Amino acid sequence: MRLSIYRFNPETDLKPRMQDYELAPEAGDKKLLDALMRLKTIDDSLSFRRSCREGVCGSDAMNINGRNGLACLTPLIGLKEPVVLRPLPGFPVIRDLIVDMTQFFAHYHSIKPYLINDTVPPERERLQSPAEREKLNGLYECILCACCSSFCPSFWWNPDKFIGPAGLLQAYRFISDSRDTATAERLAYLDDVYRLFRCRTIMNCTEVCPKGLSPSHAIERIRQALVRESS
Amino acid sequence: MRARVEAAPKFLNLLQIRFPIGAIASIGHRISGVLLVLSLPLLALALDRSLRSEAEFAALRDLVSAPWRAMLLALLVWAATHHLLAGIRHLLMDVGLGSGLSRARTSAWAVIVAAAIVALIAAARWLS
Amino acid sequence: MRLFLGQRAWVLQRVTALVLLFLLALGAATLLTGPPLGYERWHALATSTHGAVLIVVFFAALGLHGWIGIRDIALDYIHAPMLRLALLAVVGVILFAIVIRVVLTMAVHFARGA
Repeated sequence: MRLSIYRFNPETDLKPRMQDYELAPEAGDKKLLDALMRLKTIDDSLSFRRSCREGVCGSDAMNINGRNGLACLTPLIGLKEPVVLRPLPGFPVIRDLIVDMTQFFAHYHSIKPYLINDTVPPERERLQSPAEREKLNGLYECILCACCSSFCPSFWWNPDKFIGPAGLLQAYRFISDSRDTATAERLAYLDDVYRLFRCRTIMNCTEVCPKGLSPSHAIERIRQALVRESS
Repeated sequence: MRARVEAAPKFLNLLQIRFPIGAIASIGHRISGVLLVLSLPLLALALDRSLRSEAEFAALRDLVSAPWRAMLLALLVWAATHHLLAGIRHLLMDVGLGSGLSRARTSAWAVIVAAAIVALIAAARWLS
Repeated sequence: MRLFLGQRAWVLQRVTALVLLFLLALGAATLLTGPPLGYERWHALATSTHGAVLIVVFFAALGLHGWIGIRDIALDYIHAPMLRLALLAVVGVILFAIVIRVVLTMAVHFARGA
């Protein structure tokens, strides 16, 4: 198979370049990550992140043939050749396919991604009814791979101010948690021209989420909650 | 180290990114919106002239007799149709109608195709 | 400018869109039914009290909706604060002038028709 991969070494390169590779996948190479690992045995200078290799850790997010995805979840069968691999769009490149996620995680932390409840904790745990727990489905599964935020035009233009789909999905995860008591503060924080309202419902986020989640739906629900709150 | 991070390259070549159909509908919404704002002075002018006299009213109807003006008007017809349909799509999605991915894809296609067809019909009528 | 903070601009964009949608539907229903649209009929419709008021409301909603849209575009692509402020001010003044122009147009034709 043929691959064309974005290469950039900050030690030696002034500008990024594309490098072509020819690779013979072996039996058992099923996903794009398998091919990349094999490529690494040929050219050990090629850099990319990977860890769990099964779509749980979210390390190997990259731009695959023009769309964001996880290499470990992308089947080799059906990939158009040459397979063009680039780092996540809009993120500063550290080296090859490795990007700087500092800002992405800063946005994640800004929405206080933890349960806030100042009432006295019960003896054992804060209980939730099955119906209340049900509301967290489709929200808690996010692995923070950044496929969505890095595919969002609004995030490209204002990466420092717009929280982005990943952060907003998590914001909604805590807004809809029955055990959390900071809903009003969370909504007040999001009621901002940049933080929430740069979203134009393009839905690129939902298009590329490797876990099949829908940040655009979470954003829609946050906006509705804001309207309800202020009316 | 800090200086290096700031000088880090970014991949953001829009021509090398494969945009989903929703993104195409969205940029169309934006471009058509700008076109409509730009045409607003002309629309106000047309309103005034259309009310002045029978002759001025007829003159507005004859605008399309020049091919370049007919093309321009067809472009504005595209802009108005696309913006209107894409806007209705967004209003419905805001209240949760058709905001799932597969429906949103279908409606994005529908908006793009319908606006193109309406503009082509307008152009065909005025240019023939 | 509190009017345009956070969700307010977003809500205003939707409200003006709904107003425009309603008026367009009303206009289309009126113009497409009844006798073919000639100068006489158009003039009578537009210079009636209802017609004149609705045309002014239509342009006012159009101007506001357009300005919020341009602001969204500016917030995305123009990051120099003074440049963005200048652009939004200029566009705002022009759109406002257009609405005023329409008000004057309708006032003149309304007075002449009455």
